[in-house]
Amino acid sequence: MKPVISLKDIQLTRGENFSLSVENLELLPQRIYALTGANGAGKSTLLRIMALLTLPQRGRVNFADAEGEELSRQRQHVTLVEQSPYLLDGSVADNLAFGLKLRGIRGAEQTQRIKEALALVDLTGFERRKTKKLSGGEAQRVALARALVLKPNVLLLDEPTANIDSKSLQSFEDLLARLPAAGATVVFATHDLALPKRLKAEMLHIENGKLLDRPHRRAESFDKTQTENSYGTIL
Amino acid sequence: MFRPYLIVLLLLLLLAMPAFATEHLRLATTTSTENSGLLAELLPPFEKVNDCKVDVIAVGTGKAIKLGETGDVDVILVHARSKEDKFVSAGFGVGRRDVMYNDFIILGTVADPAGIKGETDAAAAMGEIAAVKATFVSRGDDSGTNTREKQLWKATGITPAGDWYLEAGRGMGEVIIMAGERQGYTLSDRATYLAFKQKTPLRIVVEGDKNLFNPYGVIMVNPAKHPHVKVALAQKFIDFLTSAEGKRLITNYHRSGEQLFYVK
Amino acid sequence: MGYLTDSFITAVRLIFSFDREVQLTVWTSLYTSSCSILFAALFGIPFGLWLGIDRFRGRRLMITLLNTLMALPTVVVGLVLFGFFSRQGPLGSLGLLFTPWAMIAGQTVLATPIVANYVLAAVSGSDARIMDTAFTLGATRLQAAVQLLKELRYGVMAAVIAGFGRVIAEVGVAMMLGGNIRGTTRTMTTAIALETSKGEFAFGLSLGLVLLGVALCVNLFLNLLQQR
Repeated sequence: MKPVISLKDIQLTRGENFSLSVENLELLPQRIYALTGANGAGKSTLLRIMALLTLPQRGRVNFADAEGEELSRQRQHVTLVEQSPYLLDGSVADNLAFGLKLRGIRGAEQTQRIKEALALVDLTGFERRKTKKLSGGEAQRVALARALVLKPNVLLLDEPTANIDSKSLQSFEDLLARLPAAGATVVFATHDLALPKRLKAEMLHIENGKLLDRPHRRAESFDKTQTENSYGTIL
Repeated sequence: MFRPYLIVLLLLLLLAMPAFATEHLRLATTTSTENSGLLAELLPPFEKVNDCKVDVIAVGTGKAIKLGETGDVDVILVHARSKEDKFVSAGFGVGRRDVMYNDFIILGTVADPAGIKGETDAAAAMGEIAAVKATFVSRGDDSGTNTREKQLWKATGITPAGDWYLEAGRGMGEVIIMAGERQGYTLSDRATYLAFKQKTPLRIVVEGDKNLFNPYGVIMVNPAKHPHVKVALAQKFIDFLTSAEGKRLITNYHRSGEQLFYVK
Repeated sequence: MGYLTDSFITAVRLIFSFDREVQLTVWTSLYTSSCSILFAALFGIPFGLWLGIDRFRGRRLMITLLNTLMALPTVVVGLVLFGFFSRQGPLGSLGLLFTPWAMIAGQTVLATPIVANYVLAAVSGSDARIMDTAFTLGATRLQAAVQLLKELRYGVMAAVIAGFGRVIAEVGVAMMLGGNIRGTTRTMTTAIALETSKGEFAFGLSLGLVLLGVALCVNLFLNLLQQR
């Protein structure tokens, strides 16, 4: 199967204390990957490299179907939700509309997709709410909805459960579990080793800035049924 | 967010446009004609008849002549005969005409440390001031008054220097105020002094010397050197200043009950 | 002496008599300042944004130069532009000297470094995640920069207000390039200078009070915009 994203010979050094290297990493479509490792091991940096926000000194990140496109176009294949995401000033709908507008999606379709994405994160009816007045958990979910609404091929999540309260955790995990079937490749960084297990994720482990050579399946593999490459089934 | 702001500013820009529609005549003149209020009396009738606007740039005589040389004005109205003649002979100006005159006066405090009150020889009075090193405030700005002051010093044979001689580098009004505050002497034109009479303790100590005669001349900037000079309008302006009506307006202009300028 | 009370009374009378001359002066001040701040914003905001976002060789030197330009005396700007706009100068044929346009040009030169510097400071102090968020949602550099500007609009407004404050209060450029021509280039500040030189101190000071009032109104207006 053709990988949706592949990293080759990535090398990034920052000062004397930090370096990150990835020899070869290929992520397959519609899988869910858990990125684990100690604090400072380089999880967030690797996610930023995959999101094309940090450019490594050496090596390349390739997306399927995006070869030769310029950086900003390539970035439209992938979306990163950071651990403490920044919400743009204005309303929740403004935030969700931002990426859609950049992709030329306006009017009724935009409204509809925003509504659906907010429903996915249990924030139905939050469109007009000001982002400044949201709680931490709500902000986290708005950020997730802002990524989901774009239906990216690759969704990168940095500690996605960090700000989610226990009450919403179950529905959040259910949502994550459904994403691969809907067409996305999900990579999430986490401390919590139980979460990958529950989600049946494939494990990627970083130690001291080095990605262990192959993704290996510690969690029980789940049956993947090839659906069309879209979010159609859950959205 | 910024759009309404931009629109307001663009509107301002558009509204500013009509200000440039009528024909403008550029006049560089000395501060004394402007500050005395004479031009405010003299210009409106001319502007009305010729449907134009006279842009007055009031600077010292030296600067006014400079603006004529560079062609940044159309006409100059100044009072430094020696400089005016040089300006014309160097080909920068044409058709100099006498407009009016008044006189310079030496101002001093009532205490009069140099004891020159009532002196009729201006140069001799200046010599006295230098001799006792009484404070003297000079314009020091190459203006018409400053030019005359230098001529007077030259006549005394003294090169003024020392801590009693203050070169202010400012306009006549400021210098009168400054001389008053420093209890010193200064050379002033009569018109400015009359305007400042209420604001300074200085009194006239010397007047009436023929060397204090202060004629004003008007000169058109040479169109051969600066083709953009508005010859027709400038000529009309010169004709107006020297016409019977111009003379009447100048003669009739009074301030605090005193006539400021005279015509021949 | 009742100098201060005199001028205050004159000021009040001046404001409420709607004197044509005073109106024209206030108007000249307002529109030259507004036009120049508009141009200064047009140049200064993108420039400050660029300096704030991009990392390139010579950036520090450029920031130092920009800081130095902030301290530029108005008469120096006036003098240099006088050389350009005079009939003898390279732009002399345009005949701009002693017109409002020359003043606007000079004041634009004065205000641009201020606007750029304030924008630079706002960008430097801004949340680094703003640009990243825009990028990860698929924005180009330009789109991300525009978004950054929107997020920093209070800082940008502060930049514009600071620039406006400088140009409406300055006298050097207005005097040298405008020539203090009654009804055309006489601004509130050059009028104050003139009234002072005529010895009309009370009138000059009252014009100063009018200037203060006008500046207050403009700032209140900008404040209102900010709160929307």
